[in-house]
Amino acid sequence: MPSTNVAFRPAEFAQAAGQHLEAFVAANSDVAYAVLTTSDGFEVAAHPKKPLTQKLAAMSSSLQALSEAISREAGLSNARNLVIEAESGTIVVLGLPGTAPRMSLAIVSGNSETLGHLLWAARNCCAALAALRPG
Amino acid sequence: MNAGELKIVFAGPMGAGKTTAIRALSDIEPVSTEVGNTDLASHSKQLTTVALDYGHLQLDDGNVVKLYGTPGQSRFAFMWDILCAGAIGIVLLVDASRDDALDDFRAFVDTLRRIARDQPLIVGVGRPTSADGSHLAPFQAHLASQGIVAPVFGVDARERADVLLLVETLLCVLEARVEEKTRAVN
Repeated sequence: MPSTNVAFRPAEFAQAAGQHLEAFVAANSDVAYAVLTTSDGFEVAAHPKKPLTQKLAAMSSSLQALSEAISREAGLSNARNLVIEAESGTIVVLGLPGTAPRMSLAIVSGNSETLGHLLWAARNCCAALAALRPG
Repeated sequence: MNAGELKIVFAGPMGAGKTTAIRALSDIEPVSTEVGNTDLASHSKQLTTVALDYGHLQLDDGNVVKLYGTPGQSRFAFMWDILCAGAIGIVLLVDASRDDALDDFRAFVDTLRRIARDQPLIVGVGRPTSADGSHLAPFQAHLASQGIVAPVFGVDARERADVLLLVETLLCVLEARVEEKTRAVN
């Protein structure tokens, strides 16, 4: 794994984001993983933090970029959310507002809660994470 | 895939020129998934591909070559498997001016022999470090040591003619393989 550029992922922000993700997962019992990523696929923070979450970070950044590319090709303006509905759960990937380079939040969830509730909770989490960013 | 559609994958390390090569060759504006590179310690380029590049080349014989570019970093290795599936051949690009060019090349050859074992491989070496082409020798030597027969060219990924040479060579290798098989059957 190449080295990371800490200028984009200062330790204080990563720590605060990790705590926020932990609280998010605790408050949403159906959520299995929450991963904050850079647009080029590095994990900034995750809960629970496991080897898998690094892979989720890279894969979600690819998917996010593809969803933006297909939206552009289809003549739609900015892609917002990416939703994958599997038989036993859901993955959502959302961009964090106002981040440059863009960061995204990837959430892996079971299917006990409705998609609407998951998106609502995820958007709130994104807004809170964006507010943690150093100005 | 239609009978006249061929899929070729451009692989190689970050900064080897995959996106540039597809842009140089494609008849259409390529589909790009470049984002800001936050890992400037590993490479100074500002943008990096995180999913794929896609371009399209119409050949004189009516066939269409679909050009796919992979991300270069190993954290995106899952895309290499996905993109190489169904490809008729692989163009491996490498930047000779990088200190770790040969190590990267070895790693990519190993990986490609695993995920694209039966597809022909063509190598394009960019940013020459010698005027006489001697910088190609270590790459040729590594392929020979692995028993891999693959043409190695010095290329400028920005030049359409150079990239076209790689694709045309790949198609020639495929044609030769088909003729060989036909002769073996007869």
